[in-house]
Amino acid sequence: MESRIIDRPSFAHIRVDMSAGDRLVAESDAMASMTSNIQLKARFNGGLFRALVRRLFGGESLFVNEYSTDGTGHVILTQPTPGDIECLELRGNTLYLQGGAFIACEAGVKLGVGWAGLASLIGGEGLFRLKVGGHGKVWFGAYGGIFAREVEGEYIVDTGHLVAYEPSVSLRARLSGGLLSSFFSGEGLVTRVRGPGRIYLQTRSIAALAAWTNSHLV
Amino acid sequence: MGPFDGGVFDKRLQGGRAGAQLTVDAHGVHASTTAGDTFDVPARDCQLELGGASGRMWFCRTPDRQLTIYSEARGFAEALASLPNLSQPVAELRRHRRAESRRGVLFLLAALGMLIALGIAGYFGLDYAGRAAIEALPREADERIGRLAINSMDLGGPTVHDKTVTDAVNAIVARLAEHAPGDFEYQVRVLDAETVNAFALPGGQIVVYTGLIAKAEALDEVAGVLAHEIAHVTQRHGLQRIAQSLGVAGSLELLLGDLGGLSAIAVELMRAGALTSYGRDQEREADEQGVLTMHASGLDADGIARFFQKLQKEQDEMEIPEIFAWMSSHPDLDERIANVRAQIDSLGPVAEQPLEIDWDAVRRAVGPDAEAAGSAAEADATEKAPEQNADSKAGSKAKRRKR
Repeated sequence: MESRIIDRPSFAHIRVDMSAGDRLVAESDAMASMTSNIQLKARFNGGLFRALVRRLFGGESLFVNEYSTDGTGHVILTQPTPGDIECLELRGNTLYLQGGAFIACEAGVKLGVGWAGLASLIGGEGLFRLKVGGHGKVWFGAYGGIFAREVEGEYIVDTGHLVAYEPSVSLRARLSGGLLSSFFSGEGLVTRVRGPGRIYLQTRSIAALAAWTNSHLV
Repeated sequence: MGPFDGGVFDKRLQGGRAGAQLTVDAHGVHASTTAGDTFDVPARDCQLELGGASGRMWFCRTPDRQLTIYSEARGFAEALASLPNLSQPVAELRRHRRAESRRGVLFLLAALGMLIALGIAGYFGLDYAGRAAIEALPREADERIGRLAINSMDLGGPTVHDKTVTDAVNAIVARLAEHAPGDFEYQVRVLDAETVNAFALPGGQIVVYTGLIAKAEALDEVAGVLAHEIAHVTQRHGLQRIAQSLGVAGSLELLLGDLGGLSAIAVELMRAGALTSYGRDQEREADEQGVLTMHASGLDADGIARFFQKLQKEQDEMEIPEIFAWMSSHPDLDERIANVRAQIDSLGPVAEQPLEIDWDAVRRAVGPDAEAAGSAAEADATEKAPEQNADSKAGSKAKRRKR
């Protein structure tokens, strides 16, 4: 199975070339186009109960699609928001993804939902997070560009910009400054992340776009 | 001891990281990845840290931090503590975490308490906050919302252009507007529909249906209804309704001048019919202010009470309440009639300055044989509104400035 990410960073999409025996799991509705010899099978996102949990709390869909083929072909996968897509190869390590970031993974990757804690909720990242582990490639997307950062010690991220992080990273919701400057700086709450470990950030925030759009309605 | 599920950070690994199975023995901490790479941190070099997303991940790191072996598996901490030089740091980090989580719980409880206090204060302060926010808003906000609302509404009838009717209604509104508080510009539309109704939108858009005119035997009755509706405008009840539906956060937003979101909510409320259905307190306030305005205008303030009575009587006799829309949005008539009359008594005698309008001619003009009566009665409406624009779609304009 060969894959590459095309048209980065603004309108990134993934092209996966598949041959007989390859299996690819993707978020439902992620497929933009594919060759006709690719078989698509919808299945629950890891069993009914787990799928429901992921749907309700992880921001993911109830079904995932499994792609396979008898010959050779390709699938083009994409995401709803304009922005970059990142590919990460898991080697037995684990990564937490914010709701909606997951796009696809190879068959060796396990999907689960974990409790993210109140800090994550207050930080605007949701009470639960998607957990990907095992072996194989994972593709996840963001709104805007994605950049990774190795965090050693503390680092501060504005709410809504954190896309993914390793379990070795802790999150804490904090005021950006004093009570007044937190309010007037427009930053409000921020997430204080503490390493060691890697975090993935998006350069734009959907919530900020929504707020900006709302202020221009009517 | 082990194995424990965990992982390794090391630059030598592809991607700098891998999952690994960990073991702990007297020599130190050992990790082997699924790819077969092995890593060791000798016990004497192991610098412990506790953290991670769960807060229960133990990190064993070399002094130069080039190699980190970590796990949050059950029993890993105990295994580390079994090493002679690590038992002390493990105990210390655990104590530290306990203290921190206690602080966290205290902070959470304090935050919860504050939230509840804010909720209670918000509940009681909402009305005040909404009013304060509205007082701070410019009049243009009312006008903008009123215009938006009237343009997005199905008014339910054609505009009446008969000058007998429009002049009379404009004259009444002009007189009332002169004696009402506030500095609003009133735009009056008379619409041809059977419904016994009139309403006012924020900013001074007033809509009167011919059904109401036909039902009123005297001018003062319609004037009373209009004074009541004008009071809704001057007391800015429409915006208060919006503020109430916004909640505390919205009121703050409003106070900071975000009119965009406000207008969107106004239109939503309008579609739900909520902008013209006011609360009980607002109705009472509009009654009071309406009586004051009538009194100041030299009109018979009892007109509104008489109109209430009439509607109530008719409702009791005939069972067609749906055409009495104005009343269905104005409940508790008995009590309100009593309140209005008590207020009139307390105000003392009024120097009546009746409007010179032939009310019967106006009523004939809106009656079933309106076509014939209309032009004949036109000359009878002697008091004209200051500005007239009877042909425009928006109806006539009654304008005034506050002294």
